[in-house]
Amino acid sequence: MNDHSSYRVWVMRAAFILLTLFILFVHLLPLNSAPSTWALPNLLMGFAFAWSARRPEYVPAILLGLVLLLADLLLQRPPGLWAAIVLLASEKLKSQAPTLRAATFLTEWATVTGLIIGATVVNRVVLAVLLVDVPGLWLTLNQMGMTVLFYPAFVFVTHAIMGVRKSAPGDLDTLGGRA
Amino acid sequence: MAKDRSNSQDYGAPLRKLLLSVMVLLLIAVFLLWRIDSPRVERFRAQVTDRIVPNFDWAMAPVTGMANLLRDFQSYQRIAEQNQELKRELRRMKEWKEAALQLEEENARLLDLNKVRLDPRLTFITGVVMADSGSPFRQSVLLNVGARDGLIDGWATMDGIGLVGRISGVAKNTSRVILLTDASSRIPALVQPSGQRVIVAGDNSAVPPIDFLENPSLVRAGDRVVSSGDGGVFPAGLLIGQIAKDPGGRLRVRLAADYERLEFLRVMRSYSNEPVSDVSSVLTPARATLQGSPQTTEVVDE
Repeated sequence: MNDHSSYRVWVMRAAFILLTLFILFVHLLPLNSAPSTWALPNLLMGFAFAWSARRPEYVPAILLGLVLLLADLLLQRPPGLWAAIVLLASEKLKSQAPTLRAATFLTEWATVTGLIIGATVVNRVVLAVLLVDVPGLWLTLNQMGMTVLFYPAFVFVTHAIMGVRKSAPGDLDTLGGRA
Repeated sequence: MAKDRSNSQDYGAPLRKLLLSVMVLLLIAVFLLWRIDSPRVERFRAQVTDRIVPNFDWAMAPVTGMANLLRDFQSYQRIAEQNQELKRELRRMKEWKEAALQLEEENARLLDLNKVRLDPRLTFITGVVMADSGSPFRQSVLLNVGARDGLIDGWATMDGIGLVGRISGVAKNTSRVILLTDASSRIPALVQPSGQRVIVAGDNSAVPPIDFLENPSLVRAGDRVVSSGDGGVFPAGLLIGQIAKDPGGRLRVRLAADYERLEFLRVMRSYSNEPVSDVSSVLTPARATLQGSPQTTEVVDE
């Protein structure tokens, strides 16, 4: 049984990498090069949070860090900063995962909203302090709002389609093998 | 009870915490390195992009094709309307064509009279757009031509009609074009009939504003904006667009290039500007003029 579940952990880790690549692929599609006045939700951050709140063992820090750094590099962001912020936020969420497991979805949504706003603010402050050009305020707020708004959709996809669910009390723990 | 369980199974926690701190420190180190030595990290970014994005190409081409097909299908719905419009435009174009032919003849005669030799080295290479910037905050596209094809940073890029942007970041197989609409783009330009020199400064909107205009009263909506060639950034005379006034009264440039659908781009080869080879000597020119201890002069002599 232990073998089986550790096998599943690795499969799901690979699935997360595939999901990232798919998100990057969608972002990079050259459909329209004209500047737009609204922003898509930050898909990668949404999924990272949704997975972290459900199964922390599927998205270990190393995997998440590397994947986020890759996204920073490919999407023309200052490399490393956003990745570090989202990684820390995900770890915070992971540490709260046992409490969130028992709580309702609204609690989780509120926690995640706080983290998203915090991450955006910290990112802007650090960029401003280090005199890097900060992106437009309207677009940033727009993206932040969209990510919060679409979080239930990320959770739905994570839960129903990818089968990443909160571990129920009777489940075998995938890493510890403990009931 | 939940607390009990998390405590008892946390034998791997210290290790995980260590890995996390290492990862975070690594990411912050990358960011600080980028802040300190941006060109090196940007080159690394270009190489990573060069390694990864071409692998997406097999999937991107059909998806983009399908999307464009759908968009075309939508435009078929008003095909009769478009046909009328095109016919009207064609009639107007015929008049223009006549005028252009006469002008061309005259131009050729004048060039001949003055023994003007146009720059023979201004040729171009055409690339296909592989990907866009992937973020609403940056306006750039990735071309499938790179250092392998002899591209150099700073070359101008056009679609069939107007200027699109400037090459910034060349890897082996790919290169990035910063579009005129990007917030970091600044292009010296000339407003045509009045000859005013301006800077077209991108601001992440579809119609970039113009800066450093000396005499706004000489400039009217509809004036042509072309690259001026100042500072050796671009060859002169490439069409950028037309002046338009926004509701706030600010002068902006309506770009001639079709930004809705960038597919094939021309990279204009120009060898006019000297390539920067030794960055440190550019950054610290004072070193050569330092008349310090004999040791310093020895170093300079070497």
